[in-house]
Amino acid sequence: MAVPASVARLFSSAFGGASVRDRAERLEFPDAGHGYDLFGLNPDFVALGETVASPMYDRYFRVESHGNENIPATGPGVLAANHSGTLPFDGAMVWMDVYRNTNPPRVPRAIADYFVPSLPFVGTLFARCGVVGGSRGNARALLESGNLLLIFPEGTPGIGKPWSKRYKLQDWRQGHCELAIRYRAPVIPIAVVGAEEQMPQLAQIPLGGAMPYLPIPATLFPLPVKYHIYYGEPVRTDLDYTPEQADDPGVLKEAAQRVKERVQALIDKGLKERKGIFR
Amino acid sequence: MKSVLVTGATTSIGERLVRSLVADTRIDHVLAVGIEPPDSALPFAHGKRLTYLRVDLARERRIRELLFGPVRELGVEVVVHLAQHSVAHDEGRHVHAQNVEALRSILELSDRHPTIRRLLVKSYADVYRVSLELPVLVTEDHPLNLSADSPQYVRDRVEADLTACARMGLADCEIVVLRTAEALGPGTGSQMYDFLEAPVALRPAGFDPMVNVASIADIVVALEKATHGSGEGVFNIPGYDTLPLSESIRKWGTPQIPMPGALIRPLYGLRHRLRGSDFRYGINRRRMHYGLVLDGNRAREILDYTPENPIDWPVGGPARRS
Repeated sequence: MAVPASVARLFSSAFGGASVRDRAERLEFPDAGHGYDLFGLNPDFVALGETVASPMYDRYFRVESHGNENIPATGPGVLAANHSGTLPFDGAMVWMDVYRNTNPPRVPRAIADYFVPSLPFVGTLFARCGVVGGSRGNARALLESGNLLLIFPEGTPGIGKPWSKRYKLQDWRQGHCELAIRYRAPVIPIAVVGAEEQMPQLAQIPLGGAMPYLPIPATLFPLPVKYHIYYGEPVRTDLDYTPEQADDPGVLKEAAQRVKERVQALIDKGLKERKGIFR
Repeated sequence: MKSVLVTGATTSIGERLVRSLVADTRIDHVLAVGIEPPDSALPFAHGKRLTYLRVDLARERRIRELLFGPVRELGVEVVVHLAQHSVAHDEGRHVHAQNVEALRSILELSDRHPTIRRLLVKSYADVYRVSLELPVLVTEDHPLNLSADSPQYVRDRVEADLTACARMGLADCEIVVLRTAEALGPGTGSQMYDFLEAPVALRPAGFDPMVNVASIADIVVALEKATHGSGEGVFNIPGYDTLPLSESIRKWGTPQIPMPGALIRPLYGLRHRLRGSDFRYGINRRRMHYGLVLDGNRAREILDYTPENPIDWPVGGPARRS
């Protein structure tokens, strides 16, 4: 992936339209001097990402956004969501939803598992759209410079959860709360309803190495489920705790539990409100 | 008014630093040391405020004679140690003596020296470990590359850096280690410069990490600020330009060919054998996959250093920050 930004700009202009270009032009980001930020984000590639993901967002998954006024308009924040669906379409749809429903537009910086940057082409494209490798140092730098982080506390086990465990939150890690408390950011709970049925898994072939397993899905392509994305009121980890408490295991456990309960409550609300998997 | 000793004075960075220090009215005298003969070293006009000496720093006795001879007589207070073997393919005891043992001797002798009160060591971003699990934006507490499999070029740089760091707080003189971004310019020993200067740049297909490069002018500014500063510590010295690897190749005007990494190493090995060029893919492989950008916050806060001199790229000119 060494497509110049000019080609990405041309592609998004030709296929994305004026609104896509306008959003990219209004995107505020810390330009390190050559049109990219220190982690490789570039607005033209964000526009390319929107152009590519739009058909899925608008037509295939028909994403419906609820409570997006809870996304902070400025300053740091941690977006914590349930994770599922065999392939990370849920991440792409939340990325789109936040980008489209903030004004001025904000690109959530998705924290990916370690193996993602090692994927040729994909890792680079993701980096251009704002995804960063899941190291503490990357997250710190982004929060300190006022970014929104998108974290899936269930991690890779979440995306690979079996059909029988859909919409039941798996082991809920605490790192997102540690970051939020230490760097004075609120946590915004997010529920993605729909993704957990998009691609049931039959089996997993363990790979070892950077990529933990190869999923064997029941369908070649994701099913055209309808996505509902719910944003809850922020958990004020920036106000309710002091930065020093980021080292207290008891506090982290309690804060993570608060976030988990909020996400589960949003999931339950979404499941209750939707009319069916495809509607 | 203070006097300064500059080792590695005939390198491109050393020469620029010496010029700058000679022009600095706060500096009384500059003692420049290099391995070039005096008649060809430092080819610029200078008055009586500069002395050039040819000294082989790989020999401990010569260092002793230098420090307790001319350095003491001139009352040198600050030593700027730039001397480092720059050819990545050269290995062996003599190279190690120049890279590590020379610094060890300077550190030891400075500790009991009557006039030296400050020692600046120019280190390199190469000392940092690059890994998927580690941040791309690197602070001074980032893990170092302690791999025994690294070539001597890297091992020596890490050992020299750690040797200086280990003396901090223990020695009478202040020790400052500046881990600098690669300076793009001839004679800097920059692997990136040699990579960009090749007729064709071969880079790993599918990867386009962020790289940070510095101009010689910025490295010289950082060294000057550290010369006049006080206190000790380790500082990252980033360059002005942070951009994707492919973009840097494009801006250098070099054709690029992405290809599988397994093919790149033998091709650069062949280039070295045929053309004597210095770029070693093995040294740069991880950086060319995952990237490394120096975080310069500490240098900005303590040394008042901010990179301000962009590279004048052959294609497209210097960068413009918003």
